[in-house]
Order: sequence, then structure tokens, then C-alpha cells
Amino acid sequence: MKDITLNKIIWPTVYFITGMAILGGLWHLVSLLTGNQVPSPIATWNVFKEVLQNPWQNDPDYKGIGTKLLSSLGRVGIGFGLGSLVAIPLGFVMGSNKILMNIFNPMVQILRPVSPLAWFPLGLAIFQNSPEASIFMIFICSLWPTLINTSFGVASIPQDHKNVGKAFGFSTWKYITKIMVPFSMPHIITGLRLSIGVAWMVIVAGEMLSGGIGLGYFVWEEGFNGGSIEKILVAIIIIGVVGLLLDKIFTVLQKRFTYAI
Amino acid sequence: MSTTTINITSEQIADAILEPVLHPKPAIEVDNVTVSFKTSKGFYTAVKDISLTVKKGEIVALIGHSGCGKSTLMGTISGMVKPTQGAVTANAETVTGPGPDRGIVFQNYSLLPWLTVYRNIYEAVDSAIKNKSAAEKRELVEANLKMVKLWEHKDKLPGHLSGGMKQRVAIARAFAINPSILLLDEPFGALDALTKSNMHVELLKLWNLDNRNKTIVMVTHDIEEAIFLSDRVVVMNNGPAATIKEIVEVTLPRPRNKKDIVHDEQYMKIHDKLLNLLIDKFSIDDI
Repeated sequence: MKDITLNKIIWPTVYFITGMAILGGLWHLVSLLTGNQVPSPIATWNVFKEVLQNPWQNDPDYKGIGTKLLSSLGRVGIGFGLGSLVAIPLGFVMGSNKILMNIFNPMVQILRPVSPLAWFPLGLAIFQNSPEASIFMIFICSLWPTLINTSFGVASIPQDHKNVGKAFGFSTWKYITKIMVPFSMPHIITGLRLSIGVAWMVIVAGEMLSGGIGLGYFVWEEGFNGGSIEKILVAIIIIGVVGLLLDKIFTVLQKRFTYAI
Repeated sequence: MSTTTINITSEQIADAILEPVLHPKPAIEVDNVTVSFKTSKGFYTAVKDISLTVKKGEIVALIGHSGCGKSTLMGTISGMVKPTQGAVTANAETVTGPGPDRGIVFQNYSLLPWLTVYRNIYEAVDSAIKNKSAAEKRELVEANLKMVKLWEHKDKLPGHLSGGMKQRVAIARAFAINPSILLLDEPFGALDALTKSNMHVELLKLWNLDNRNKTIVMVTHDIEEAIFLSDRVVVMNNGPAATIKEIVEVTLPRPRNKKDIVHDEQYMKIHDKLLNLLIDKFSIDDI
């Protein structure tokens, strides 16, 4: 029992703190070498505390950092949600039918490597509105990892599992709900995890282009244009931590849906 | 308007009733079946020109060395393997695919790892049996799980069971759908000797309960098991292009007693004969 707490809680915490200490040390070193052009961790921390004051303020002339974060998360959520709603069923169809796989796969392979930012002007032309264009961009870029992983999962259902369905005369619905979806669940979640990672990366860039309320715009407007490099660093930390938390959620889900045979 | 009258004599009625009794249709008819697979090195013929008739209520064991095509032959009956030539008839219908009239116990258990023991059986019962209420289906699941003595493990996932327990779940699942033909692909292979013995007796009990109406075909390596359970033992030649070497009748009267049977003269004769049929092939290969 003692060993388990030691291995599962204490050591990871020690490693985490060591890692963070090294990162902070390097940061401090860079700050010293650049003659405080890059603000030191302590200077950044002071700005951080300042930024964190009244985080949920939502006045027309001033939005708190929490409000900005929620605004960014909201856009990611809508774009990612819509993208998943399209990608998962399409992945099921692609994975279970070789012909459709062969038809759709080249499309996916051509569209997938396109930088998400390239979709932004297209979204702007379609929607005539920059927040919707951001959502469109998130939607497009969160399609591919989910689509590819879902279709791979479905295509790799073992013959043994399919035979069970055949031998006992499973209906199509039962096959989908009791064999196809549970088997591909870990693959789907891997896809979702990659997708939300991309979406979270892209939203910052999108908001720099689109303006409005959000972390990306905060980096650009208050950080760069406002001449506060501390604020840029604060935003980077917040973006990083939120990205890590999003990733953790899907790691937990992934474990939940993985089964020993 | 003229009405057509159909005259049916009492003899015709009697014939119609008696015909299936006097000349029952075989449960399984394997007619001149050849199975070839396409491999990277061309065609591989697993079994060749096999014909075998299994009567209703008969227990037949397929025995032979590993890779001799026993499982392939079994696959053609279950409908999982399509014959390249010839055809298989089961319950008077040509086999075109698997169906719930033929219950299968797979060699590798084939349980769904995300369903509990209970759900694994329930989903199979729910799909295969159409004309029963949910409560009756639940009763069937319970009865069959108790039969294999796994009721207290019903809420576990297959990943938390031992190999033998998984195999028993697979057996309970096949029995639960009450098929007229049971196909067992090395069903007791993973079990320890004691559990295996119990399962043999349970299998025969079930077969008796059903007035010996179920037809059972099983693949096995185990000569003792084959003799104890079956009416006929089909010995296969080694592959590729395996054929039936000989069919040995097991004339021992039923019910058979596991302990007494081994001292029976007839048993020993059959045992020796089967051993010779299998070993003879071995020694030729060895030289």
C-alpha cells in the first residue's frame, strides 16, 4: 500500500516539480542573457496576478481573462463538437466499407495537410463574420484526426468479433452498438484527443486573425500591441495549461474504454 | 365457378407423418466438399472431396493432427468457411452462412471483451431467439450460466476470467440459444482435467434432457474425449488436401460411465484403433 502511493503519487509529483524547476531556471537564464528583454519568471508572475484579478469581469470595455478563456473554449467546443459529429459517423461508414474508404481516402489525404489557417479566409468569405470563420476553421481541422482514427478502428475489428455477430445472428443495430462502437471506442478517443489538441493550437492563431474576445486576441492586442511581453508569456502559460487539461480528459476517457481480452 | 376438391387419403396422411420418422433427413450433409484458400504462394487446398452425413441426434467427433483441416471442415458446416466445391446441407437447407440453428463454440472463446459474462450471453440469446419475452431470455441466461457454474461471476468482464472460465462462458452461450446443431471447435481444450470431465458429463446431460435430439459435431485432439462422447469418430488424414481416413463407430452403450468405461474391452479396442490410425501417420512423417 505504501509502495503504491509512493509510485503513483509521490514520484510523479517529484518529477513534475523537477521539470518545472528546470524550465523556470532556463527561463530565468534566458531573461538574464537578454537583459530582461524577455521578462523574468518573477516579473511575469506579478503580471500574472494582475491579469488574474476580476477574471470573470464582462463589461463592454473590459473583459477579464476568464471571460476570454471561456470565449476561446466556447469556439473550440462548437467547432470541435460539430467536427466530431461529422467525423465519427463518416469514420464508421469509411471503416466498414472498403469501396467508400477508397473513394473518401484520397480526399482526406489531400485536405488533411492543408494548414488550418488557410481555411480561415474561406470561412470569412462564406460567413462574412470572423467568429464564425474561426469556428469553421476549428471544425475543418478537427475533422481529420477523428475521421482517420475512427475509420482505422472500425476497419480493424477482428474477424473473431465479427464471427460472433454472424454466428448468433446479430442485427445491424446490435452489431453497431455491441461490436463496432465498443471496439473502435479507444481509436475514436485517440482521434478526438488529437483533434482537440489541433483545435486548441489553431484557435489562438485564428483569434489573432479574427480579433474579438479570446486568448489569441489577448496575446496580439494586449501583449504585442500593448508592449507587454509579460502578458504574452502569461497567455502562453494559460494556453499550455488548458491544453494539457484538455488532453488529460481524453487520456482518462481512453483508459476507461480500453478492455483486456 | 368450379370448386377444386383435393382428395387426401388417410394413407397419404399416414405417409406424411411417418416419412420423417422412418426416413429422417440427416441433420448435416457434407457433400463432396473441397476448400481452397488463396495465399501468397498460390492456392492452398485445406480439405478435399469430403463427404459426411450426420444423423439427427448423433454426436460426431473430428479428430486428426494439428493443421489437418478439422476446423476448416467444421467451418463449412457453421457457414464461416465457404466451400470451393461441393455443398453443405444443415437441417435440410443449404448452408450459405452462419445461423442460429447452429450454435458454435469457438476455439478461441470469442467473447466480446467490453460486455460482462451475463451480457455476452444475453446479447446472443436476444439476437438468436425471437419468440421469447425478455424475462424468458433472462431465465435462459441464468440457467445456462448456472449450468457452467459461473453465475457468481456474471458481472465480470471476460478479461478478468481464466481461460477455462472463458471457455465455459462460450459453451453456455452456445447452449443458451438452444440450437438443433451444436458445433464445438476444441471446446474443452483449455480446461483442466477435472473441469473437462465435468463438462463432458454436463454436455451429455444436456443432450439427454433434450431427448437426444441435438446433433453435435466436435473437433478434438483428445482420443478419450472423442470415445466417451461420440457415436462416431471421424479420423482425418494430414493436410494439405486432407481427406477422411476412416470413420470409427463407437458402439459402447449409453449412458457411459467415465470411470468404468476405461476398463471396458470394447473401449480399449476402439482406443487402440484410433491411436494406431493417428500414430501410424506420425511414424511415417518421422522417418
